[in-house]
Amino acid sequence: MTQTDAVETRRKEAYFTASQGQLIWARFRRNRSAMIGGAVLILLVFMGLFAPFLSPYDPTVAGRNPDYTNGAPQIPRFCDDQGCSARPFIYGVTRERSIETNFRWVTEIDTDDRRYLQVFVEGDSYRMLGIRGDIHLFGVDEGKIHLFGTDAAGKDIFSRTLHAINTSLAVGTLGVLISFVMALVIGGIAGYFGGVIDGVVQMITDAVRTVPAIPLFMAMAAFVPDTWSAETRFFFISIILGLIGWPTLARRVRTHLLVERNQEYVLAARLAGARPGHVIRRHLLPSFTSYIIVDLVISFPYMVLSETALSFIGLGLKDPVNSLGVMLQNTTSADVLLNYQWYFIPVLFFMALVMAFVFVGDGLRDAADPYGERG
Amino acid sequence: MLQFLQFTLIRAAMALFTLFMVSLIVFTLMELVPGNCAERYLAFKNTQGASITVEDIAAEERRLGLDRPFLVRWGDWVSDVFLRGEFGDSCILRLDINDLLGDKFLISLGICLTALLLAYLIAVPVGIIAASSRNAVLNGTLRFVSYLGLAMPNFLLALIIMLVSTVMFGDSLTGLFSNEFRDAEWSWARVQDFLSRAWLPVFILGWSATAFALQTVRALMLDENDKLYVTAARARGLYGRRLLWRYPARHALGPIVNSLGFDLNRVFNELPIVAAILTLTEAGALLLDALAKSNDQQLAGAIIFLLTASIVTLNFVTDIALAAVDPRVRKSVVGG
Repeated sequence: MTQTDAVETRRKEAYFTASQGQLIWARFRRNRSAMIGGAVLILLVFMGLFAPFLSPYDPTVAGRNPDYTNGAPQIPRFCDDQGCSARPFIYGVTRERSIETNFRWVTEIDTDDRRYLQVFVEGDSYRMLGIRGDIHLFGVDEGKIHLFGTDAAGKDIFSRTLHAINTSLAVGTLGVLISFVMALVIGGIAGYFGGVIDGVVQMITDAVRTVPAIPLFMAMAAFVPDTWSAETRFFFISIILGLIGWPTLARRVRTHLLVERNQEYVLAARLAGARPGHVIRRHLLPSFTSYIIVDLVISFPYMVLSETALSFIGLGLKDPVNSLGVMLQNTTSADVLLNYQWYFIPVLFFMALVMAFVFVGDGLRDAADPYGERG
Repeated sequence: MLQFLQFTLIRAAMALFTLFMVSLIVFTLMELVPGNCAERYLAFKNTQGASITVEDIAAEERRLGLDRPFLVRWGDWVSDVFLRGEFGDSCILRLDINDLLGDKFLISLGICLTALLLAYLIAVPVGIIAASSRNAVLNGTLRFVSYLGLAMPNFLLALIIMLVSTVMFGDSLTGLFSNEFRDAEWSWARVQDFLSRAWLPVFILGWSATAFALQTVRALMLDENDKLYVTAARARGLYGRRLLWRYPARHALGPIVNSLGFDLNRVFNELPIVAAILTLTEAGALLLDALAKSNDQQLAGAIIFLLTASIVTLNFVTDIALAAVDPRVRKSVVGG
């Protein structure tokens, strides 16, 4: 046997003995847009998870810069008229408001005042993944740096954006998990028992599906008393998202169970004497975990979109909490549109997040479909 | 014919059942809001200087019938809505809800349906062409654009258009009527005025609906394109547009007509936010106001119910239309 034949055989053997996960990964890897989406997604999740460390300041009022409210983004540079430096720097600013400036804040950039970027600087203390710390990835030696500018209260938009990604992902995850459990139970009951129970459950599911979700979200979110703390609000909103998101998923679980429970391998297992619990655990569940994961990824952007919509109209999360919806809400005034366009930077992150999820979900769906392979 | 009649009746019964379920959901939501009408009325009296006691509230509850059990009150509400089309009074605004809504709901419905129509007028031909073309660049671009339609929030589009029109034309394009027509009776001039402004919400709502519809049309066409009957038709010498329209497109359009109701659902979802930004005076904005500001559960309940009822109606109509065209649908009475 020549060497190429051996390689070929090994490749074929690897293909035939590959687990479902390996097959899906192999197909997924060939989809370029899904891979790019995946990379963006991992980057964003990473940014969200390590937001307290990556962001230079506290995202709440505690970390605000009162001397630079509504400040423009400060982009670090290496060179200017006075020569270059290996360490990037930003310029210091002076602000003035007087009768000459018509009582508006006017910002002067002082090109003689270089402020050098530092790494691992000590700053506001934070908790990240249960660990306390006060070291931030970067900062400047003097004053503060605002990569994405600041908002009306002087809060750093870069720091807020990172924390917002974290919150939005957390709300989405919690919502998806809740709807996932409900979908498994309800869809599982309908699918496993079939018949009349299935019919009744289907009718109820359809009724819930017909009600437009956002008005329903709004109605439920309207019960949240203003006195609730940010955390309670956060959990309540996630629960609402979960409670309304289940019907689509439940329908898929049900359809899948209805098909799978009549398959030969289930019959074979039953004939071999396996108990129902064993059949469900060892045979039915593994047959569609990959589909469920795909469905979860696909439903994720809708959770994020719903959270954004709710927060945007002021019924979801509110200002001390940073979520993408809260950040988007800040962009609505005409003043922002005309004068402070950097408020829109978080919108780009929001769009990137949703697009990344959609592309990855799409790629996963194609990859998980064993009949999808053509040619 | 008998089969068709049977199908229609069963579908109508199912639609009615769904409406009942929805009314239960909506009514439960209304009940969950803290405080009831009796408290609201008396709280108003309190601001007028009268002192009120717990007994006063209980008496008012009896007068309004609020002391009866939950299901009885639900039955009352449902029969009022179904038999007489009455949604009762809003306790916050102290007005009859039907007067309050007036033609606002119809305007909203009109805007949404037009947006949906626009979406499919674009999506069907473009989707069919995209599915049958092997041009990778075209397909990739279309996919990207339609995902962008999903990810780009509607309000952002609205804001950008508002900004551009304010800077370029000096008119913010907001609202549904210009000042002189706002409270006027319906007339031809008012209709013209309305149309000159309604295109903007229609366009914005249609934008993401188009993105979505495009995906569906393309996916369905791709599924159909590979089927044997298409190959057979091609083997008989049919090609190009004639082949597409006569064979795969017909089959692909069935599921699309079927899902129109859920598309309307999606458009309704976006209506309140767009309405809030463009300051439209229609039901979506009214709903947002009732929920976010005044906590007016009767008004909110009525609007949500009306929205859902129009979705159920559209679902019913599309079901019947499909059954009239396609005999196979008639046979599957319950299946969906």
